[in-house]
Amino acid sequence: MEKLENISLTGRKKVLEKKPMNFLERIYLPSIVQGLAITFKHLFKKKATIQYPEQRREFSVNFRGIHSLKRDEEGRERCTACGLCALSCPAEAITMIADERKPGEEHLYREEKYAAVYEINMLRCIFCGFCEEACPKQAIYLDGDIAPADVDRKNFIYGKDKLLEPLLK
Amino acid sequence: MATLFIDNAPYQVKEGKNLLEACLSLGFDLPYFCWHPAMGSVGACRQCAVKSFRDEEDTRGKLVMSCMEPVRDQARISIQDAEAVGFRAGIIEWLMTNHPHDCAVCDEGGSCHLQDMTVMTGHNYRRFRFNKRTYRNQDLGPFLNHEMNRCIHCYRCIRFYKDYAGGKDLDAMGAHNHVYFGRSEDGVLENEFSGNLAEVCPTGVFTDKSLKQHYTRKWDMTHAPSLCQGCAMGCNIIASERYGELRQISSRFNGEVNGYFICDRGRFGYEFVNSEDRIREIGVKGKPEIKDRDSLLRTAAARIREGSVLGIGSPRASLESNFALRKLVGEDNFYHGVADTEFDLVNLTLRILKEGTVRTPTLPEIESADAILILGEDLINTAPRMVLALRQAVRRGPGEALSARMNVPLWQDAAIRQAIQQDKAPLFSITPYPVRQDELATKSLYESPDDISRIGFAIAHAIDPDVTEIKRLSDEERMWTAHMAAVLLRAERPLIISGYGAGSEAVIKSAADVAWALKKSGKDVRLSLTVPECNSMGLAMMGGHRLESALDAVAHGHADTVIILENDLYRRAEKTLVDEFLQKSRHVILLDQVYHQTAEEADVIIPAGTFAEADGTLISGEGRAQRFYQVFVPDGPVQESWRWLQQLAEACGNRTLSHLRILDDFVLEIAKTCPQFEGIEHIAPPSDFRIGAQKIARQPHRYSGRTAKEAHIQVSERKPPSDEDSPLSFTMEGYHGIPPSAVVPFFWAPGWNSIQSINKYQIEVGGPLHDGDPGRRLIEPGDAHTPVFFAEQAAPFPIRPDCLYLIPQYAIFGTEEFSVHSPGIASRSPAAAITVARADADSWGLRDGDLLEFQFNGQEYKLAIQTNQQYPRGMGTLPIGLKGVPFMDLPGWIRLKPVERS
Ligand code: SF4
Ligand code: SF4
Ligand code: SF4
Ligand code: SF4
Ligand code: FES
Repeated sequence: MEKLENISLTGRKKVLEKKPMNFLERIYLPSIVQGLAITFKHLFKKKATIQYPEQRREFSVNFRGIHSLKRDEEGRERCTACGLCALSCPAEAITMIADERKPGEEHLYREEKYAAVYEINMLRCIFCGFCEEACPKQAIYLDGDIAPADVDRKNFIYGKDKLLEPLLK
Repeated sequence: MATLFIDNAPYQVKEGKNLLEACLSLGFDLPYFCWHPAMGSVGACRQCAVKSFRDEEDTRGKLVMSCMEPVRDQARISIQDAEAVGFRAGIIEWLMTNHPHDCAVCDEGGSCHLQDMTVMTGHNYRRFRFNKRTYRNQDLGPFLNHEMNRCIHCYRCIRFYKDYAGGKDLDAMGAHNHVYFGRSEDGVLENEFSGNLAEVCPTGVFTDKSLKQHYTRKWDMTHAPSLCQGCAMGCNIIASERYGELRQISSRFNGEVNGYFICDRGRFGYEFVNSEDRIREIGVKGKPEIKDRDSLLRTAAARIREGSVLGIGSPRASLESNFALRKLVGEDNFYHGVADTEFDLVNLTLRILKEGTVRTPTLPEIESADAILILGEDLINTAPRMVLALRQAVRRGPGEALSARMNVPLWQDAAIRQAIQQDKAPLFSITPYPVRQDELATKSLYESPDDISRIGFAIAHAIDPDVTEIKRLSDEERMWTAHMAAVLLRAERPLIISGYGAGSEAVIKSAADVAWALKKSGKDVRLSLTVPECNSMGLAMMGGHRLESALDAVAHGHADTVIILENDLYRRAEKTLVDEFLQKSRHVILLDQVYHQTAEEADVIIPAGTFAEADGTLISGEGRAQRFYQVFVPDGPVQESWRWLQQLAEACGNRTLSHLRILDDFVLEIAKTCPQFEGIEHIAPPSDFRIGAQKIARQPHRYSGRTAKEAHIQVSERKPPSDEDSPLSFTMEGYHGIPPSAVVPFFWAPGWNSIQSINKYQIEVGGPLHDGDPGRRLIEPGDAHTPVFFAEQAAPFPIRPDCLYLIPQYAIFGTEEFSVHSPGIASRSPAAAITVARADADSWGLRDGDLLEFQFNGQEYKLAIQTNQQYPRGMGTLPIGLKGVPFMDLPGWIRLKPVERS
């Protein structure tokens, strides 16, 4: 019987025996040659990486990239600033300021209320897509690209200027 | 107690309630719409159905509306019964056929009873595929938004507005599937309690228009338990903030003070907090470079040390702030920043309540009074919430009688209302001019203040001959006094109301005499005396000198440095006096929240926190000490006045406040050193109070956007502010269950997102909160059993030629200094005109709109007049506190300038 304190809790513990190295092992050369052989072999194999950003991989259809705020068929902003995306965001990365649509702005905003300010903190976003799922107005989709790198943190606060779909015309 | 079997399990419940109340009180989630704990049942929505069984053998049972069935001993009901569940789901589906499903756009979303009930009944998918019924919406004025398509026809709105609050301009119109809840045409909803519709309506038909200006969901706001600062009623409110802006005021249930409802001044008068006129920065005349706390404190302290200083306290500042000022300047140099007449009236009131034999009523006591006498008060404008309570009181007596006679429970609202018709408990209102409460009165008289007091004393004399007899009463007056005295003597729980409104000490004294006389004859009487501002009572209890003496002290060179606490002196004394006072003072240091005329004259301006940015204690007119809590930490140097004053004292080398740092220290110190405030340390849990080692969270657990909200200022999250003054945390971290009643930041329970979740915070629905309603009464009458009556012998009101007795008139929208910063309130403020009897105006040859020129205290004034046929002659009223109306220490005689007749 093994001693109780020696039994590992996971039951996976293996005690390794440490054998002294033999002569071949001690001179290291065979191992070095072996390693170099693998390295040279890879020179003639297909590359595992690509030349990003010149080259791009094909994304899966459900890839989640940068968010875009959508417009409807008539070019009006769909978002009604209901706050559900912000509510469901596990990273707490979305915030918005709602405003009332004024008479004469019907061509700009689809609903009576709209987001005057809409911001996502891309440093915080984990691209889970919950906001897209929560939106009752089909106003936000993570259908954009990979968020580009930047050297200034400030530039990761994406406002409507970066998120809103441009008007097609 | 009765035994009620719910789904075969026995429960002990109170008899006399209905099944719905019983189930909710037991904690069951049973959906409902039309029933309201304050308004009773009508059985209109059919949402609250349960199965009721005859006995144990009965397996079929029948569906009943739980809100319409009284609790009976040994009754057996089922909430879970498949048929009942199906019926309730069917009702919701039916109600939803026409509902626009626009939760995303709707302001109610996230705090919507309809949403909650829909989820509760499990109606998930819409099957109705036809066109929805639509309506045209109305413009209902500045307070409420109207979106009729969302209506589910529960009738709660008109039951509140018409039946409960006595409004006349909202009604149910049309028939069948087209019933419309609105006004007969677009226009401002007139009732002073209209804002409650936003809470009463279970859907988004009526929503808060002021919230719409800066809309935020309930879950996204930081909330705090607060107190309305609009008047001395002390209504409990929830104040809610986001992005450093106060966004909404909603009512916070307190069964002893305001129940479920608050008035529109309280609900919509908050916008000054966000106003452009806010004092947000430190200002030192001639030294614009001083912008930070430390250099300000150094400069101000140097100036305070330079000369002899006096402090002017404020009835709208917290007890703590007034206390700190009094400590800083010394008791002898502490003056009350209130008009002298007001000072006398409030001190008299305090004396009557302390030394008299009768106590002030709580809200339920007002609502259960069975005979009411109002002397001189225009209540809707001086104590708005009380009128709503009186409206319930006058129905209560006849209702109870009928309920007993017909064997119908009181909560059967429709039946009882039908039976009562116009029957009312006796309410006598004797005021100088027609007032709102006249519609409740069995008899209204319009008399000058002198005559009101004469009638009051005469009634007291008729009740108890020990009160001095009043001579020279007219026959009519004699008849009415005898009648009123007889009615009051027949009642069991009479209520006498008076206060500062008529500006007359004699009126208040006569009311006290009536109450004391009734008490002497064995009645369970209450005496309610209104006072003007949210902490008028606290300031009076603290003690201090009259403002007049402060003006004198500076005029005579006894003091030269003045510290003014949250006060605009131009609203407290005549302009010439204040001008002189401020000019003569070497240094004027002002701590306040909003710019006003006094601020323009001050050399040091210190930004003080409003009720949303400060904690403190207020004493209401009832004598109840209550605490309000900071909602958010403002940017910049703004902080609580008491904190500023404490730091100022330190900087001056005044050690009296050195040992005080946080709110608790001040509260304890006040309780310890001022016996009249003993007990204020117990009105709320101390700052180190924790539940399971947690503070109570001001933010709902769904609060969103915390990593993004301030990212434009600083990308790395800022450390959230910590609150050392209260047991509340400023973030969503903390306890989210039901906290002690005094520190409930918002009402929420799982599945109950709307304000209806209050049910879960009460011991039994409609009753007090779990650990008692917050606040503590500090003023109880003395032990004297035989009162010492006032022996005043006022002469009948003299009508003097070329003179007019001008009395102040208050306006719920307009008089209060801060609430008029809300555009909605300002738009409803009355015209700045003197109202006089038509006959008087005729005798001067003046008509409506003409200018009246007069002299008062040596000053000349010119104001437009309005005429009213019902005014007593020789007397006029002036709405005070309005923009464009100069301060006059009313009431008083004004001398008319001879009118040049062409
Ligand atoms: S993708 Fe997920 S983490 Fe990113 S903003 Fe949307 S909800 Fe938040
Ligand atoms: S959930 Fe959709 S509609 Fe609502 S605020 Fe977010 S993006 Fe706008
Ligand atoms: S407006 Fe609101 S309160 Fe009135 S009937 Fe419709 S849903 Fe009920
Ligand atoms: S009655 Fe007075 S305290 Fe109550 S809500 Fe109205 S203004 Fe505020
Ligand atoms: S709540 Fe019972 S019928 Fe409406």
